[in-house]
Amino acid sequence: MLNSNNRRAGRSLLIQRNALETNEVIADKNKALFGKAFVMNFLSSPGSGKTSLLESIVPILKSDGFKIAVIEGDVETDLDKKRIDELNVPAYQIITNGTCHLDAKMVSAALNNLDIKDADIIFIENVGNLVCPTSFNLGEDMKVVVLSITEGDDKPLKYPAAFYKSKVMLINKIDLLPVLDSDVAKIKENALSINKDLAIFETSCKNNLNSGEIKQDRLNDFVSFIKDNVNLKASKIKK
Amino acid sequence: MHEFSIALEIIDTLQKNGYLDGVKSVSEVKLNLGKYSGIDKNYLVFAFQNLNDKRFKDVLLNFISNNGDEITIQEILVN
Repeated sequence: MLNSNNRRAGRSLLIQRNALETNEVIADKNKALFGKAFVMNFLSSPGSGKTSLLESIVPILKSDGFKIAVIEGDVETDLDKKRIDELNVPAYQIITNGTCHLDAKMVSAALNNLDIKDADIIFIENVGNLVCPTSFNLGEDMKVVVLSITEGDDKPLKYPAAFYKSKVMLINKIDLLPVLDSDVAKIKENALSINKDLAIFETSCKNNLNSGEIKQDRLNDFVSFIKDNVNLKASKIKK
Repeated sequence: MHEFSIALEIIDTLQKNGYLDGVKSVSEVKLNLGKYSGIDKNYLVFAFQNLNDKRFKDVLLNFISNNGDEITIQEILVN
């Protein structure tokens, strides 16, 4: 009950409902539309390398026979979608026009314009922001938080919600370790202090020679994790 | 500033479940707010103060903190 000392005048109505119930209803509909596809919602601050990661892992998964679709979220421009288009997978760009996150309604609208009927995997790249996107369920199977080592090892403590709500953390741009003072062990320790169940992968989309060539062994563990989850979801649906 | 979206979601939830039927004003909203909800209390108050909804013009937000990640509407006072 409301504190009687501070209580204002009025008739009391007990509610006890999720405040984001309307978003949850749409998220549940999205989940149903996703069907067998395994859906990952990527969260991070701007510039952590979300799009580069997609550019790196989509071709690997495609070559292994997985069908992929991508939903991009940005405040302005379709620059990221143009990069994904180069990979020849269905992609749709949500431009939020100033809104700092994606919500279930935006993704629902995107699904009206994106062919996902055969998709095994759907990647959603949220707006670059470590705070706002964490509040909204989009109907995804899991949130993935991407933290590049250039951002500092204290980020999990400063932005705990993103790490608490994610099942996976990618420590990205690991190839830059030789030229930075980043403490990867500290990043892991801080993240696990928020969420002890986080699966953590160290990733890089480039090699140390800065040639632009993808060094796949820095992505293989994460790619294997995705494949395992695609197969797990498919087997659960069959049952 | 996703707190504006959160404020609109709260009103939407109340509206769709009939709690605002016939209500002229809401004087107080009691929210259960998880420390990992990613929501800033002060920004949420600011959002309600600046929404274009006269029913919530003078609303007081009352927070109960918890260690989870959810935001739950516990109780409202209406006129």
